[in-house]
Amino acid sequence: MKWMQFLTPVAGMDTEDARAYLREHKEGTYTLLDVRQPSEYEKGHIPGAKLIPLPELAGRLGELDSQKPVIAY
Amino acid sequence: MGGRSRAAAQFLAGQGFDKVYNLNGGIAAWQGLKAFGPAEMGMVTLRGNETPQEVIVLAYGMEQGLADFYSRVCAMTRDLEVREILGKLARIEEKHKDKLFALYQTLEPGTRERTLFEKKIVSGVMEGGFTGEEFLEKNKPLLDTVENLLHLAMTLEAQALDLYTRYAQKAEDVQSRSVLHDIAEEEKGHLATLGGLLEARA
Repeated sequence: MKWMQFLTPVAGMDTEDARAYLREHKEGTYTLLDVRQPSEYEKGHIPGAKLIPLPELAGRLGELDSQKPVIAY
Repeated sequence: MGGRSRAAAQFLAGQGFDKVYNLNGGIAAWQGLKAFGPAEMGMVTLRGNETPQEVIVLAYGMEQGLADFYSRVCAMTRDLEVREILGKLARIEEKHKDKLFALYQTLEPGTRERTLFEKKIVSGVMEGGFTGEEFLEKNKPLLDTVENLLHLAMTLEAQALDLYTRYAQKAEDVQSRSVLHDIAEEEKGHLATLGGLLEARA
């Protein structure tokens, strides 16, 4: 198998920073996005997260505000 | 598992979202558990101004990687349903390779020999990427269960979708755009299939 991964740079956010971010910013000013499957979401998710499973993301972009910061997990 | 969210973040950034962050370590890190993301693989950062020909070469290499990945994973699992689906996905990626080669030929009419074209791919991919053995060795902990294999496959498919949609937007001629859109649409279908498989196993 020949392998390569194509990446556009995406910033990472550490857990501590994310906690601080969520604490300091009002609900509605950002999107916390859970891209896992519904069954994984049900077993546990970060409070306030919006669930859009990765397979549905391309078709549901309209539900997200591109002006707001997105933290994905 | 950070692979899927990284792919999602990458996709959103490509769709014009201003600020996108990937939560390092995903929910496992959030819960205070030790998390390990996919080992860093050979990466090629897109410049963003690749020519259509260059995009086709990259995409062809990616399709080849996907097809090989599915075939290998297929050999690793005994689950008949999973095997059948992975086999089907691998065959579709082979068809994508045919489409990409045909598209390349329309852009470079002088290209007749596919083997010569493929040599270009192989050398390009080998420079920046790992070979399968290295990749599998590095990612062994992630390849131990069918669920993890499905996570990884979804990560790769989302990246493929990202690559195709971004370049479809940029493609200047209608035919290239339509081919890239078609392939993107099928990768989207693959994501849905893989998501369904994962859900069915939950």
